[in-house]
Amino acid sequence: MNYIKDLFDFLSAPTISFTLLTVAFPFIFPPTDWFDKKNKQWGIYKLWTNKGAFWIFMSITFFFIIGYFDPYFNLTMTKPDNIPIILMIYSMIFVIWLGMKKAYNNDARLDRGEKPEEWNDPDDKVLVWPDLVYIELIALILFMVFLIVWSILIGAPLEEPANPAATPNPSKAPWYFLGLQEMLVYFDPWLAGIIFPIFIIVGMMAIPYMDINKKGEGYYSFKERRVGYFIFMYGWMVLWVFLIVIGTFFRGPNWNFFGPFEWWDPHKVVPLTNVNLSEYVWVKLLNKGLPTNIIAREAVGFVAVIGYLFIMPLLLAKTKLKNLFEHYGPVRYSTLMLFGLTMFALPIKMYLRWLFNLKYIIAIPEWFFNI
Amino acid sequence: MAEKEKKESLLSRLGESQVWKSIIRSGVPRSRRQRMYAVLGNVFLHLHPARVPKHAVKIGYTWCMGGLSFFLFVVLTITGILLMFYYRPTVEYAYTDIIDLTEQVPLGIMRELHRWGAHAMVLTVWLHMLRVFMTGSYKPPREFNWGVGVLLMTITLFLSFTGYLLPWDQLAIWAVTVGTNMARAHPFIGHEGPGASLLAIGDINLVHMGSDVRFALLGGRFVGEATLLRFYVLHCIAVPFVAMIFMAVHFWRIRKDGGISGPL
Amino acid sequence: MSEKVIPKASINSDSGKDLNRKGFLGWLSIGWLAFAGATGGFFTSMIRFMFPNVLFEPPQSFKIGYPDDFTIGKVDTRFKKKYAVWVVRNDEGIYALSTVCTHLGCTPNWLEVEQKYKCPCHGSGFRKTGVHFEGPAPRPLERHSVSLASDGQIIVDKTKRFKWEKGEWEIEESFLKI
Repeated sequence: MNYIKDLFDFLSAPTISFTLLTVAFPFIFPPTDWFDKKNKQWGIYKLWTNKGAFWIFMSITFFFIIGYFDPYFNLTMTKPDNIPIILMIYSMIFVIWLGMKKAYNNDARLDRGEKPEEWNDPDDKVLVWPDLVYIELIALILFMVFLIVWSILIGAPLEEPANPAATPNPSKAPWYFLGLQEMLVYFDPWLAGIIFPIFIIVGMMAIPYMDINKKGEGYYSFKERRVGYFIFMYGWMVLWVFLIVIGTFFRGPNWNFFGPFEWWDPHKVVPLTNVNLSEYVWVKLLNKGLPTNIIAREAVGFVAVIGYLFIMPLLLAKTKLKNLFEHYGPVRYSTLMLFGLTMFALPIKMYLRWLFNLKYIIAIPEWFFNI
Repeated sequence: MAEKEKKESLLSRLGESQVWKSIIRSGVPRSRRQRMYAVLGNVFLHLHPARVPKHAVKIGYTWCMGGLSFFLFVVLTITGILLMFYYRPTVEYAYTDIIDLTEQVPLGIMRELHRWGAHAMVLTVWLHMLRVFMTGSYKPPREFNWGVGVLLMTITLFLSFTGYLLPWDQLAIWAVTVGTNMARAHPFIGHEGPGASLLAIGDINLVHMGSDVRFALLGGRFVGEATLLRFYVLHCIAVPFVAMIFMAVHFWRIRKDGGISGPL
Repeated sequence: MSEKVIPKASINSDSGKDLNRKGFLGWLSIGWLAFAGATGGFFTSMIRFMFPNVLFEPPQSFKIGYPDDFTIGKVDTRFKKKYAVWVVRNDEGIYALSTVCTHLGCTPNWLEVEQKYKCPCHGSGFRKTGVHFEGPAPRPLERHSVSLASDGQIIVDKTKRFKWEKGEWEIEESFLKI
């Protein structure tokens, strides 16, 4: 049992689990033919069958059962405010499983030239009263019962009275913002706290204008819209939901990382000496001191950021993504690139931090301008 | 049998009475026509069309999540109003009032219903969004309504966040301290954001600790009495008001964009 | 009766007395500007409404005792709870560090064993001097003004903040030489 626990502790380290998930993701939601071939070859599509669901939920439940009997994980897991996260894990995965199962079913039907399962004769409608109204009534009653039982069983948590002088250790944001709190480790507040949330909101609102694929409207489908599906699922499940899970279960005192079965030692020492890109370039590479001129000091960082966000998409539009550019037109293409590249900037910065202890690409604390 | 007949006739007679007919004009909905009229003639039910496609009533297609989100909003409004009768938003009383809500107040689960309901609403909203994405229901002609939905999701999170401060416990004050300090870093209008130092007349900074966006949010320089009152008002009145406007648009647009999405 | 019928609408259409197209546009833009100005003014004053003129916050200046109360090389955490400052004495003198993390305003803890201030929220670490060295904090902790009162006690004034990155730790008030 201890081996299994050690294995879980090892696997759940953000460096490992995030990498595993990122690598596995294109195979689970294959965006291209090559990934699709591998997906078929290795039988990953079997996840979306009843048997697959059995194994998915057995393994999650197995994990939580070990966790329940583990003295350390039990403390995190049974905290009243963490129960919604367990609910979230189950419901999100179930809902994706169900959607993908229906999607594969519909894909097969479309291949055979049939209509999707959801299709009905437009003239053959049902009456809202009573067919829809009674479903709503039942759903509402069941949900209310569930809510009342939940409220009776588990009291709402209340900690000690507010004390502005003593920060609890660790101190966590509300669970639905833990993804943001995790981002704050890698980015400055003005980015992680302001720009990224705005970009997430505006970027999500822009999805229907960026995804101009007309297929797959109004029924579950995967094959017809696999690229959009992959990008959305990666952004939502890995960069938001998975970061919430990490923030809830694996972040302990001093915001250090702890494996699920590890004791939250407030004195755990993790070397976190971070270096800026400008220091890498000027001090380590060129063996000089940092220039006093701010712009000169951060020139490399500016080149990197502008190159990533603006020049790279321009070059891609001429070369590899030429078809996309012509299909999308300049406005739509640049919107897609701006939001897409900003989204992928998060994992990129995470890896730069883990691999090179890189703190800021552009570091101008004098102007509060750090990237 | 005779009893059943009697019952039915009682119901019919009730349906024919002047009082019933003045309220619900269509009588007891038995015929197809009456059933359609029961939906059309009711201010609450006419959120729905009279008839819907068959897949719209399948739980496997909709997961009922949008409806449940709305239902939870109603539950939270009702429990929230009840909680307001006992809760005083001051540093002195807030914490003890919260304790009283479980210890003294009859039916001591009102706060639990409100808190777990809020958590559940965040979840149902997210699942609703996931369903809408997976069925491709954001595609034309429903682009605008997807945008309204994204804003509603943001409002839901903000509602939940403003409610976090009200118990005035350690969790509350620190979650809000961290959250509002992000506002401090807002470009130009936060005093530690990029560009804020550019907004100056001579040596005098226009954007400082006592004049930036965080100051307006907190009503002071620290999370304190004024902040509690501000978040209380935002949580109970201001944000729900905005949420209701957006919900009205959201529901209305579902109908105007052609009802529930479905394959052509 | 072969009189030409002139449509009523076109009568006087070119007369200078009445409103012509140019005049109409002029009036419209003036009206529109006035409306926009009034609306803008209204919303500006509404925003101004959210910024209170008088704050009811605790005093920011207080006495913390005599210089001899502080041991050389130690971080004094007694005033953290009430006043949110650490008082540190080194070989040369005394300084008061703000206990507000420069990242997002949590209160770090002084860890005696590791000789650092460590923030529980996002893991920023600061050396005893207040200089940041790990985690996401972008700049060192701020120092407050320290001075001697006439009775020999030390006065900390929290309204004055000294930031390292602006070179303000060189200012005399930020450090009490003993």
